[in-house]
Formats: sequence, C-alpha cells, structure tokens
Amino acid sequence: MKSIKTIILILIGSLGVSSAFAQSSSSRPPFSFNLNYSIAQPFGSLSDYASKTSFRGWQAGFQYALNDKLSLGAKVGFADFYERFPRAVYPGKGEDVSAVQTHTLQTIPILATVQYNFAGPEARVIPYGGLGIGTANMNYEKFWGEFVERENKWAFQVSPELGINVPFGKYSPVMLNANVQYNYAPFKVQEISNFNSIQANIGLKFHIQ
Amino acid sequence: MKRTGMILSAIAVGALLFSSCRKEPLNDMTEEESRIYVTNYDEQADFTTYKTFSIVDSVAVISNRDSKKELTDYDVKLLGNLKSSLQARGYTLVDKNAKPDLAVNVTRIDNAQSAIGYNPGWWTGWPGYWDTGYWGYPGWNYWFPGYYTVFRYNERSVAIDMVDLKNAPKENNQLSAIWNAMFRGTGVWNSGNLDSMTAAIFDQSPYLKASGN
Repeated sequence: MKSIKTIILILIGSLGVSSAFAQSSSSRPPFSFNLNYSIAQPFGSLSDYASKTSFRGWQAGFQYALNDKLSLGAKVGFADFYERFPRAVYPGKGEDVSAVQTHTLQTIPILATVQYNFAGPEARVIPYGGLGIGTANMNYEKFWGEFVERENKWAFQVSPELGINVPFGKYSPVMLNANVQYNYAPFKVQEISNFNSIQANIGLKFHIQ
Repeated sequence: MKRTGMILSAIAVGALLFSSCRKEPLNDMTEEESRIYVTNYDEQADFTTYKTFSIVDSVAVISNRDSKKELTDYDVKLLGNLKSSLQARGYTLVDKNAKPDLAVNVTRIDNAQSAIGYNPGWWTGWPGYWDTGYWGYPGWNYWFPGYYTVFRYNERSVAIDMVDLKNAPKENNQLSAIWNAMFRGTGVWNSGNLDSMTAAIFDQSPYLKASGN
C-alpha cells in the first residue's frame, strides 16, 4: 500500500512539472513516456499456482510517434503473484512433507511495443490498440514453511493491449492512460505450464520535446 | 535539461518501486507456519513385519563445532513422545539387548553455519551420531535410500532415524534406515511444540504400524 501511495504522489508531482512547460503547439511532440499502476489477474496454471490478484505492479514505457496514428516504443513492468496455502501434507516418492506453502512469482517483462491510434490527435478520447513482444524475467519462489525453492528464468512474452488516452484539454501533451492487456509467456516451471494473465493499467502519458 | 531530469527521475522511481513492491512471504509468517515436517520411508519395506523396537537413551547433538549426547527436558519429552507414538501403532518397546526389530536414533542438528553436505542421512556420518556398535554392530555403516529428500539445512533441526535391525545382516555391513523424520524451521527445539510435531510425523505415516489391519 505504501508503494501505491508513492505512485500516486509521483503521478501528481509529474503532472505539475509537465504542465509547467506544456506548450500550445498544433500537435503533440512525437516522443512520449508513460507510467502506470498495474493490477494483474492470473489465469490457467498460473492461477492454480497462485490465484490471488496482484495489486503490486507497475509499468513504464516510452514511445516515438511516426505519425498521428502509429508509434513504436518499449516498456518494462512488474507484477507480484502470491498465495499462501494452509498446512497440508505433500506426498512425494517415498516421502511426505507437511508444510504451509507460500507460492510467489515475480515477473519483469521487457517488451518492444507498437501502437495504433483509432482517433486523431484532436480527439477528446483517443482509443488505441497495441502489441508488445519481448522477454520477461520470471522469478519462481515456492516456500515450504520458511524454506524456499527458487527458479529464475527468462521467457518469451507477447502482450496485446487495448486502451484509451484522454488528453487534459485539446492537444494537451499530458494524457490519462487506461488500458487492459493480456500477457502470455510459454513458461514451464514445476506446476506452472504457461504464464497467462490479464492486466489493467492506469497512469499518465506525457509527450515531451 | 528538463527532459533528461524527468527521464532520470522516472528511472529512479522505477527502481524504487521495483524494490519495494514485492510481498515478502517471511514477513508475516508465524513460527508454526515456518516449520516443515518431512518423513521419508523405504518404499520396499513392509512395516507390519516389524514388531519390536528400541530407542536410544539420549539424543545426539550435532553441530559444526562439536558433537555430544544430551538428555535435556526437551530430549526426555521427545523420546517419550516417540515411544508412546510407536507403541500406539502396535510396536513393543524392548531393551536394546533384546534383539529389537527396529532401532530408533534421535539427533538434534545445530547447523547455524551451514557447511555440511546434503546427501540423505549425511548426519549419520557425523561424529557424535549413534555408532552402529550401540546396536550391536560395531564398525558398520548406516545406509539411506538415495531418493530420500534432504532439504537444505539452516539453523536447527531434528532427525529421527528408524533402522532395520531385523534384516540387519545385509551386504556391506550396512544398517538400512527404513524410515526417517525431520523437524525443520523456527522453534523445533522448543519443547512446547513437541506434541504437535510428533503428531504430524505419525499422522502423515499411516503405513507405520505393527499389524496389517
């Protein structure tokens, strides 16, 4: 919760800084960056491993607009999946282990992105579609009581995204960004056969000179 | 300049968020939740073919610094719990000179500086562990099935090894361990936890009984 507060404060602070040098050009400068708070819901085998929604996530990216519709960029992010299971006996080969298991997975995607705007720069709401392709660092940590079983791997990841940008006034270089993205990574570790999540992001996008 | 500053601060903020975002499992873990109870058994063994057992008269305490036999209040309670649990499963407690079918060795391991290997039953090779001579087989070794799982040790743990004396004259002068239990985690050397820990290892070992019904 502390980190969520931090994010909000930073967003408000950044808004102030950027309005200070916002200018009234007829269109926005091509270079932009964004900072978002993320909530992610696991699906499939990831959900079997840790089903709780992740409220500990963020995303940051930058983009270069080739024209009013199309832009290219990159983004990084973070999500933390976590679930604790009550004490149970886990059987193995010639073995039984009684433990409180805590399942965690931290993911850090690093993606190249392409975005297409469905409306012009003068619109009050600019819907867009995007696609991110790249890699993600997956940190698997399964705790048996206080003893951890850890595996760290890189996986290919693809993340299509649909969202809206809402400028704070016509041609404003600062926009509210809200989007939903689906994440898929072929990631196999122990009981996880694929990484699947749906993620909601909200934050700010700044066009800068 | 402003742009550079903003980008740099964004990166710094990112690094800050990254390091503080994770929910750390150990932060809200109780001592009870931290403990794990591991039992290993020989899949070939038929535990109903054994009828009698004997248990050591004190507890071996193994650490990196020294090793000794002790009989603290904790040890007395632990040995008592093991005796009554095995008796409840139909096994008869006999003197170690009365040719018991099963021998029970009990060891506390204090491995605060972890530098010991992790092969199954490694503690049996440590100075201070129960010599096979205690059970009437001087100069022999203990043998553990290779699939026994040994979690990486840190700090304190307790190992209970059940050794097959009934079928002792095997090759290589080895006494085979057919059952092993380990208490691991925070508070395993606290006698207040002994009842629940002993109950756990016997509950998860329903095959451990002297008769087949």
